Amino acid sequence: MIVVDNLLKIFPTADGHDKRAVDGVSFRVDAGRIYGLLGPNGAGKTTTLRMLSGLMAPTAGRAILAGHDVATHPREVKQSIGFLTANTGLYQRLSPRDVLIYFGKLHGFDRARAEARAAELIKWLEMDDFADMRCGALSTGQKQRTSIGRALVADPPILILDEPTLGLDVLSNRLILDFICRERTEGKTIILSTHYLDEAETMCDQIALLHNGAIVAEGTIEELRQRTGTERLSNIFLQLVHADQVAEI
Amino acid sequence: MNIRRARTIYVKELVDILRDRRTLAAMILAPIVLYPLLMLGGIQAASSQTENIKDERIVVGFEKEWQWNDVVRPLLEEERDLLTKQRAAAEARGADVDELAEIPVPLGEFIDAKSTAQLEASIREQSVHCGVIVLPGNDGSSPSDVQITLTIVTQKEQVRSEIAARRLQSALDRVGEHRRDMTLRTLNIDPRIVEPIVIKFRKLITPGSVLGLILPFILVLMTVTGAIYPAIDLTAGERERGTLETLMVCPVPVIDLIVGKFMAVTTIAIIAAALNIASVTATVYFGGLQEAMAMDPSAEGGDDGFPWWAFPVVLFTLIPFAVLMSAIMLAVCACARTFKEAQNYIMPVIMLVLVPGGIAALPGTKLEGVMIVVPVANMVLLTRDLLSGAALGASTFAWVLLSTSLYAAVSVAVAAQVFGKESVLFADSLSLRAMLSRRLIKPSRWPTLSGAGLYAATLFPIWFYVQSALQRAVDDDMADVLRWSAILMPVFFLGVPAAMVSYWKIDARATFRLGVPTLRHLAAAVLIGLAAWAPAHELFVLQEHYIATPPALAESNKALDVALTSMPFALAFTVIALVPAVCEEAFFRGFLLSGLRGAFRDRTAILFAAAAFAAFHFFIFRFPVTMVLGVVLGWLCLRSGSVWTAILMHALHNGVAVVLVRWPEYQTAVGLSATDPWSHLPARTLIPSLLALLVAWWIARRPDPSEATKTSPILTSSDDSGTL
Repeated sequence: MIVVDNLLKIFPTADGHDKRAVDGVSFRVDAGRIYGLLGPNGAGKTTTLRMLSGLMAPTAGRAILAGHDVATHPREVKQSIGFLTANTGLYQRLSPRDVLIYFGKLHGFDRARAEARAAELIKWLEMDDFADMRCGALSTGQKQRTSIGRALVADPPILILDEPTLGLDVLSNRLILDFICRERTEGKTIILSTHYLDEAETMCDQIALLHNGAIVAEGTIEELRQRTGTERLSNIFLQLVHADQVAEI
Repeated sequence: MNIRRARTIYVKELVDILRDRRTLAAMILAPIVLYPLLMLGGIQAASSQTENIKDERIVVGFEKEWQWNDVVRPLLEEERDLLTKQRAAAEARGADVDELAEIPVPLGEFIDAKSTAQLEASIREQSVHCGVIVLPGNDGSSPSDVQITLTIVTQKEQVRSEIAARRLQSALDRVGEHRRDMTLRTLNIDPRIVEPIVIKFRKLITPGSVLGLILPFILVLMTVTGAIYPAIDLTAGERERGTLETLMVCPVPVIDLIVGKFMAVTTIAIIAAALNIASVTATVYFGGLQEAMAMDPSAEGGDDGFPWWAFPVVLFTLIPFAVLMSAIMLAVCACARTFKEAQNYIMPVIMLVLVPGGIAALPGTKLEGVMIVVPVANMVLLTRDLLSGAALGASTFAWVLLSTSLYAAVSVAVAAQVFGKESVLFADSLSLRAMLSRRLIKPSRWPTLSGAGLYAATLFPIWFYVQSALQRAVDDDMADVLRWSAILMPVFFLGVPAAMVSYWKIDARATFRLGVPTLRHLAAAVLIGLAAWAPAHELFVLQEHYIATPPALAESNKALDVALTSMPFALAFTVIALVPAVCEEAFFRGFLLSGLRGAFRDRTAILFAAAAFAAFHFFIFRFPVTMVLGVVLGWLCLRSGSVWTAILMHALHNGVAVVLVRWPEYQTAVGLSATDPWSHLPARTLIPSLLALLVAWWIARRPDPSEATKTSPILTSSDDSGTL
């Protein structure tokens, strides 16, 4: 469902040297699986996801999502993905219902279909109480539910989630994680980038550890445990990153 | 572009903006409350201040006591006696109140004399309004001293000082004139003899002309003000709130997004400006400011004095104006990452808009020459001329609207190119640097629409100016104009686009379509090039039935004929056929058409390139026929996949014209009338020409196989190659 091959992104920096934000990343995610991208700040997770969702053009390499190359067919790729980040904003002066209908129409739905899909999502995500309030007046949890609804409006086969639980309270956090599990059960392909290692440990079928723009390790949690001989993901992570730094020296 | 999707975005943005209190306040409260208050308050304050100055006491300074006591005061007392007698005489003969009111009050009633050792210093520090100096020997004290000479000292930049001096001068003049008249009468001479010519002024004013000077400029300000907030909110505001990323991940082409947003900003700008105009008009009418605006019913040249017709006229000109302003604002704001950054970008743009607007608002500026295509200035002048009822040619009107639409379209294209680029979306990408850094530019096959369009829009007024300047420089010698055009054309139409293509690593071969054409396409080019003049002539004849050829064009054609006959054939062919064919085809069918194909279907791209081609010929009368030829050239170029066919066709078409002009016997042979240039061609010429075109269409209708396999370079939102 997702094939990433040697993806590269170079940014020029103020001192004139190029920064390789993503440096030859390759991986593959099959349908119905959750692929975790883990790494410290600046590891290249967000840049990778932005390239996968067609927001950034790769300097080199290829990414194929749902059979479409993101460089040559970005519209088809965008048609196939739902994108959700912790920073995703909502239109403050529109209601959640307005937002869902609007994005439905942007995905090519006619008005009746967009309204029906919005009503379906409002019911499913239990948004009836606040569906017609303005987004500016919603609580963080209500906003997140609206954002989830927005990402799912076209019922895409692929979900790209960039730190979706960042800064959420326990209840909202639970809501997001339940939603991710439910989508996997329905056969969706999910890429999850997160800082929270325990979250990745319980949710992801496969994990890639990113450091300085490159994948330093990839595999199931069991494979990574066997490779490092440590139990907890945080220790695995530290060990691999440390090894990478030693190798660099 | 998908109209339905652009409409969805338009409706959503409009709802979003209209739910914002700040927009509503700026759009409704400002014009309805603020402007009436400012206008009424300002005008009343200004006029009451002038009245106050007229009636307030003036302080006249002098350095020596005798100057005042022996010279000025007696003169002012004389004025008082004079006016008192005049008033008494008027009352005695039963003059009405108006006549009595016209007799001035003696200045002595309002004057204070002040002795000062430092007269000039006192005037500068405003303790006296003006000063009087009388030199000994010129004070009228001796019988031989028949003339008193006074020097009145004023501070030029002080309004009060100037007004005080004028009042003093007027009082003293009155005494002087009375003394002169008395002396002349004593000598039994008619006093009128010393003033053999009397000049009086009667100043006509067209109702609405003052309004016409002010209103367009207010319009510029109001439209800009109306567009600023929504333009920032829908671009930089969207990024700042985090909704832009969400929007850009939707499967919607950027052009749809930007057109929807552009329509919303334009709507708000039009509503805001219309409210402002309505408010200004109502304030003028109900606030009794007609006189201040030269709309006094008693003024000559008008019926009821108030130009009601101005309202729909202004509204009409407001639309292209608002379209242009909104497009510019959107293009500028699309480059900004934050609200604050957008505000910083907007300020210089407003200044740039105000400069041509301000120049156009000057009374001496006319809507002619290069001003017709100067953005903003041309609209201000058009509105002014419409309001003042000045004679306005249809061609001028069309050029103003056409050039404004062109600039607006290019601004929208630029906004579409910039909006959603990663340099704007993500602060961490430093892509502005990347965009300018040649080493990071990825090679691309075609120029972008915004790059090609922006250059075309820049070149349009420049080429207009070059042509006008050439005509002036060589004193309208057409042969010289043609020679210099042939020298400059390669620079602007070929050199600059080639340099741009080279810098941005664009495939020059693909962009300019330099591929070798097939023989059948070359044959089609030859046939069309030799035969197209005949149907083109018939189209001109048809057009002549409805619109007469403007005298300027007829004169220009005559001058062209003379110039072509006077120069050697090789030179005439080079300047009329060869150079324009190579340069114009490389630009319109190569550079511009490649850029247009990135955003539009081939048919639309050909039409736009043909319209630009026709517009660059600067004669609205020739626009339709030139555009048809442009369409044929574009079709042939895309069918053959080569610009050489278009160059060949263009050169032959123009070459035929040169041959017909130089050898009139050929004109007779093909049936062109020497006496009536607008007579139809005989069937013996027309039928073979049409047959030739039919054959050309038949052999060229199949595209070049290599061209048919190429896909149109449709741009995508993720396209961030940093190319033009």
